[in-house]
Amino acid sequence: MADDDYNEVDMGYEDEPPEPELEEGVEEDVENANHEDVPDALDGEEKEEETVERPRKTSKFMTKYERARILGTRALQISMNAPVMVELEGETDPLEIAMKELRERKIPFTIRRYLPDGSYEDWGVDELIVEDSWKRQVGGD
Amino acid sequence: MKAASHVFTKEPYVENVGPRRIKSIHFSMFSASEIGNVAEVQVYKGVYYDGTRKPLEGGLLDPRMGPANKSCRCSTCHGDFKDCPGHYGYLTLALPVYNVGFLDKILEVLKSLCKSCSRILLDEESRRKELEKIRHPKRDALNKAELAKKTVSKCKPGRCAHCGYINGTVKKAIGAISYIHDRSKTSDRSLEECKSAISHTKESKGSLSVASNIINPRDVLSLFERMSDEDCELLNIADRPEKFMITTIAVPPIAIRPSVMMEGSQSNENDITERLKRIIQVNASLQQELQDMKNMAAWDHLQAEVGLYINSDVRGVPYPFQVAKPLAGFIQRLKGKQGRFRGNLSGKRVEYTGRTVISPDPNLKITEVAIPIQMARILTYPERVNQYNIEKLRQCVRNGPYKYPGARMIRYPDGEMRLLMGSFRKRLADELGFGVIVDRHLEDGDVVLFNRQPSLHRMSIMCHRARVMPWRTLRFNESVCNPYNADFDGDEMNMHVPQTEEARAEALMLMGVQNNLCTPKNGEILVASTQDFLTSSFLITRKDIFYDRAAFSLICSYMGDGMDLIDLPTPAIIKPIELWTGKQIFSVLLRPNARMRVFVNLTLKEKNYSKPKNASERELETMCPNDGFVYFRNSELISGQLGKATLGNGNKDGLYSILLRDYNAHAAASCMNRLAKLSARWIGNHGFSIGIDDVQPDIDLNERKRETILNGYNSCDEKIELYNKGKLHLQPGCDAAQTLEAVITGILNQIRNETGQVCMKKLHWRNSPLIMSQCGSKGSPINISQMIACVGQQSVGGRRAPDGFIDRSLPHFPRQSKTPAAKGFVANSFYSGLTATEFFFHTMGGREGLVDTAVKTADTGYMSRRLIKALEDLSIHYDNTVRNASGCIVQFLYGDDGMDPALMEGKNGFPLNFDRLFMKVKATCPSREHKYLSPVEISALIEQKLPESESTSDGGLSDASKAFKKSVKAFLLEEHEKGSEIIMKFGEDATVESQETVIRVAQKIGGITEGQLRAFIDTCMSRYHLKRIEAGSAIGAIGAQSIGEPGTQMTLKTFHFAGVASMNVTLGVPRIKEIINGAKKILTPIITAELDRDDNVNIARMVKARIDKTVLGQIAKSIKTVMTSRLGSIVITLDMNRIEDSQLCIDANTVRESIMQTPKIKPKQLQINVLDVTKLEVVPLVDRGKLHFELHSLKNMLPNVIVKGIKTVERAVVNKGKEKYKDKEGKVKEREKYSLVVEGTGLQEVMGTEGVDGRKTKSNHIIEIQQTLGIEAARWCIIEEIQFIMSNHGMSIDIRHMMLLADLMTFRGEVLGITRFGIQKMDKSVLMLASFEKTSDHLFHASASGKADKIEGVSECIIMGVPMQLGTGILKVIQRDEKPELTYASDPILSAY
Repeated sequence: MADDDYNEVDMGYEDEPPEPELEEGVEEDVENANHEDVPDALDGEEKEEETVERPRKTSKFMTKYERARILGTRALQISMNAPVMVELEGETDPLEIAMKELRERKIPFTIRRYLPDGSYEDWGVDELIVEDSWKRQVGGD
Repeated sequence: MKAASHVFTKEPYVENVGPRRIKSIHFSMFSASEIGNVAEVQVYKGVYYDGTRKPLEGGLLDPRMGPANKSCRCSTCHGDFKDCPGHYGYLTLALPVYNVGFLDKILEVLKSLCKSCSRILLDEESRRKELEKIRHPKRDALNKAELAKKTVSKCKPGRCAHCGYINGTVKKAIGAISYIHDRSKTSDRSLEECKSAISHTKESKGSLSVASNIINPRDVLSLFERMSDEDCELLNIADRPEKFMITTIAVPPIAIRPSVMMEGSQSNENDITERLKRIIQVNASLQQELQDMKNMAAWDHLQAEVGLYINSDVRGVPYPFQVAKPLAGFIQRLKGKQGRFRGNLSGKRVEYTGRTVISPDPNLKITEVAIPIQMARILTYPERVNQYNIEKLRQCVRNGPYKYPGARMIRYPDGEMRLLMGSFRKRLADELGFGVIVDRHLEDGDVVLFNRQPSLHRMSIMCHRARVMPWRTLRFNESVCNPYNADFDGDEMNMHVPQTEEARAEALMLMGVQNNLCTPKNGEILVASTQDFLTSSFLITRKDIFYDRAAFSLICSYMGDGMDLIDLPTPAIIKPIELWTGKQIFSVLLRPNARMRVFVNLTLKEKNYSKPKNASERELETMCPNDGFVYFRNSELISGQLGKATLGNGNKDGLYSILLRDYNAHAAASCMNRLAKLSARWIGNHGFSIGIDDVQPDIDLNERKRETILNGYNSCDEKIELYNKGKLHLQPGCDAAQTLEAVITGILNQIRNETGQVCMKKLHWRNSPLIMSQCGSKGSPINISQMIACVGQQSVGGRRAPDGFIDRSLPHFPRQSKTPAAKGFVANSFYSGLTATEFFFHTMGGREGLVDTAVKTADTGYMSRRLIKALEDLSIHYDNTVRNASGCIVQFLYGDDGMDPALMEGKNGFPLNFDRLFMKVKATCPSREHKYLSPVEISALIEQKLPESESTSDGGLSDASKAFKKSVKAFLLEEHEKGSEIIMKFGEDATVESQETVIRVAQKIGGITEGQLRAFIDTCMSRYHLKRIEAGSAIGAIGAQSIGEPGTQMTLKTFHFAGVASMNVTLGVPRIKEIINGAKKILTPIITAELDRDDNVNIARMVKARIDKTVLGQIAKSIKTVMTSRLGSIVITLDMNRIEDSQLCIDANTVRESIMQTPKIKPKQLQINVLDVTKLEVVPLVDRGKLHFELHSLKNMLPNVIVKGIKTVERAVVNKGKEKYKDKEGKVKEREKYSLVVEGTGLQEVMGTEGVDGRKTKSNHIIEIQQTLGIEAARWCIIEEIQFIMSNHGMSIDIRHMMLLADLMTFRGEVLGITRFGIQKMDKSVLMLASFEKTSDHLFHASASGKADKIEGVSECIIMGVPMQLGTGILKVIQRDEKPELTYASDPILSAY
């Protein structure tokens, strides 16, 4: 049933004091760890391009446009028989598979965010916090 | 191959970069030689075909320019009709002519050139200066054009500084495409000589004027050729000016002007071809004339023909050359709504679309749309075969195009395509391999876009999932009617099928119904239950509805399709039998089973909530006798009958909004689905209809109605009598007639209201119209009382019915009658039936409404278009700035706080509704055994959770979030104070033994635990961060729609009282237009001036007198002419009593000054003598003959001399208002406050008037504000004025949209209107401007000044067909390919392990 999607939300109706969301903390670590790697990888490829040495400034949340673009691109790849990075449970729609991959942060993409001055920042899909509409929380948990 | 130095054994890998992308466009002009280079053939024959109907060589259909029809082949590239791109030809003119597109530019150049030496008409020094200016590196194109215009105006006719030739003025000739050089006014001796010489000749005719001669194009050409490059630069001509002239015409390829074959051997040539033919013919005759040395009359004809070829509406074509048959020129092809730019480039036709009638289906989910099988068989989606879908697609291929789930076509990777029409389908299906694309029929779950025109906002086109169903209409859930503004009275809607996986993903993610439940206009919910859904919810949740187990279970099973898991709640009544209430159905609906973790908490006042009558009474809340207080606690409906406020659209605190905000779109959507199913099925069993007995008034009601109407009529008659006697007490600022109208209108409205109230009270609670109006599903109390009791006053143009006959509205009434019935009061109800006159008045009112809507749609449509064009390329960038296409910053932080208007929960665009959230947190985290915090602990925790400074940088957002934190803190402290007050109060009442229990209860109400506080702060902060606007949002387009769409809903009710009776302000669409246009002159300019001392009427009157215009006639006792034998004069005597009465400081001296400052009466020719304080004498200084006339005219003019006040002010009125203030004890008190309302302009003068507090004085005239207070004030004025209009029409629009519009209008430093003049100055590209208005002008101008445009704006990208740089186009996705680690050492034979 479609309604199940938000059943998974663990509301913690009980009176536990709210725990800081674990996921975020984990992400932060990942982000820091990856941070140094990304420019390196770039250096190896193309020297003439502006590499981002300075700390990244843009939001660590994935925008809905980024999400749509990534899912679209990935769904196209999957529809063209690209290897799927997650375990499937009967899904056949490429878009649905792409969504599942994103949920599990297995999409092998980097997002290049262009700033208005022409420079850019590279963010791995797995570094960004996805504001997942299928899993939103409310106060008290 | 032999020549190649490298021989590849394999094809080298060349990465496919896709189609080349146009980066920029450079506009320029073709010279004759360039045309020659491009052209393949010279065209000189004015005939198309030879005798055998073959295109003639050298003719206009020369095969070297491309095949003329399908049977020919191109002789240049040998392509056939389909492949040949076409080739140019050229046509040399015998003599040069002007290019009509550049007529204005040529005039400019001619004006600023010396007609003898072709140097610019500036002396060396100023020429240098100008050159320096225009070469300044900071000048942009816009600036340069302005400078060049200034330079042209600086070039005055006269002696040339270089050669000494005397230049005259240059004008466009009237009635011909040519210029006149008029030297008559700047003549010198040589001209005189010439004239006299001519006068001696015999042939001289009177009409021949030497001074003004027509400059012929050949001379202009030679002038231009001799012009220096520097001078060209000065005039902002990027290229050589001789290109403004046409000496050779590029004959366009035949592909551009295809001939249409008629039946048989007839063919119909294109307009352009016809035009060219005429040019060739005229050119030939001109050639002949040149050889014969005739007077070359054909030259003008050629000029006209070439002009018409480019622009068939060109002005100045001599009458004889105009043809009856209009042949479109090139400009006509580009121009207008159907033209190339707007018709073909900005809007493109698409395939894979459908359109039919729509109908409702509550059984569909809100995200679905039912598509008829017939449509599904035609619309296809190209699905690529992969391992998951191969079996399905095989079956589709087997079914073929006519059997439903089938397929229409197969496309193979090598490009081969096969239609599936034959019997070979089975074989193809079996041979289907991976990678093949099958164009299969639409199936359930496919993504489609659904749209209804007019598409006024982005919710007018949303993405649904397809459900293929029988029958022939498109169907969807009624809840989605609202965003489309659809009903089912025969509306049709369109659908589109996205054809790629990317398009589907984007459509679903960004345009999906689920993701667009809220309008970005103000964050209110738009997709919500309507009509019957509201009625049935209202009926179900009645207080007296009980169901036994069977009935309750049945209703619960309505919600889903009997497939859902439902936990029955504990029955409300257990003994004698188990009974459930109707309200419990909603508890089930929200949370069907215990696994579902949805806990809704909300309190809400429905429409029928009985509000406390006065402030001292307590709010009844859940004890409301009408059950109007809706209270959900942890998904249980505790009290309240649900209606529109809870379930309907246009609400921020409704049930669905809360589900959406606290949980997710899916929660809200599935609730809507369940309610739709439930209510449709329930009301089908319950029954709900309306009949004539519903609107039958009973005897008592009729009696009461008769009484009220009689009373009302009587009091109207009294007033009319008073008016006739002239004894009516006047209202401020009105005359007797206006007062009477106002009074009578008041009385009549009273009648309607009273009867309406009586009628609503009398209605049975089961009355269907009453139920509908109570729950808000349809109809208002007014509608009901119009049906039952009294229709009421009909108005035309905001007044009672006008007099269409002499002194009366209809001939049924006596003249001058002002009685209610004679002026359109309809005393009957729709049930009792209208009398003939009443009916006629009713139609008058009705027609006004119809005319209004017809006029309005065109007006608002154009307004929306302009707004969109101006704002379309504003978007949020990754550094959170709002910029336009060229990267110019319009806002540093969107809306000053970077929040997304669609996600705002609080009132007035505040991100969160703290009260609600606090309640929710307290409800969802019950205290149980946790300790309540003491005040000290609370403040400590707040400090800890909300530190002052945030170390992490968040791109300029920290300031905004600081403000938010502050508000959270303030709220918590206030809440805490309230809570402790409650605890205190309880403690006072408690006895010693009950102390502990009382305190415990009190703490439950007013206290807070640590867990609750933490949860509250955490939720606030995390939600705040999610509510920020995302980079890439096309916020400009959203803003334009948010302002344009409400415009269509505005009734054209234009006027409104500005606080004071009789002082009107324009409102509605006309006012919005004024503001957006940046109009220099507005209909009702009003200045509101605060006073330095605002508590005294007399002071206010004094200040008013200073501002109000007083003319001499008003304060003069007499203005007399005094004639003596020696001289005549006018003696003015002032009426000092009157002056003192009105507290004006005027005496003879000031009057003298005022007369001296009135230029109209030529004060220099007057001698004014002050005789004493009240008397003065005006003596005109003219010769005696004219004296008498002079005195007479003076006597007429003098009474109109303004002696006091501000000229531009129409009038000023003292406005009495009330202000609340806190006295010393902190109690709120009211006091009277006076201010001035000034009609007219002159802000600066009003501000400077003594007694006016200039700092608080405002005007509604934006341009004037800009001139007096500056651009920032103007910006704020725009915001406030738009807000004022919108709030007056009961519409709320997020202030961020207004801010954006105001910022766009002011970001250049001057107020730019959203008109074609303003938009031009907002550094937009040529293509964008051309697709807006004045297409050809912009293109010609761009090519003259050699503009180069990057393709970065939205319009340009659409025209070029490339993705634009906003939304999903703002970023790039890069495949991360993990390289396998390569070890360069050889593998050890024996590893350590």
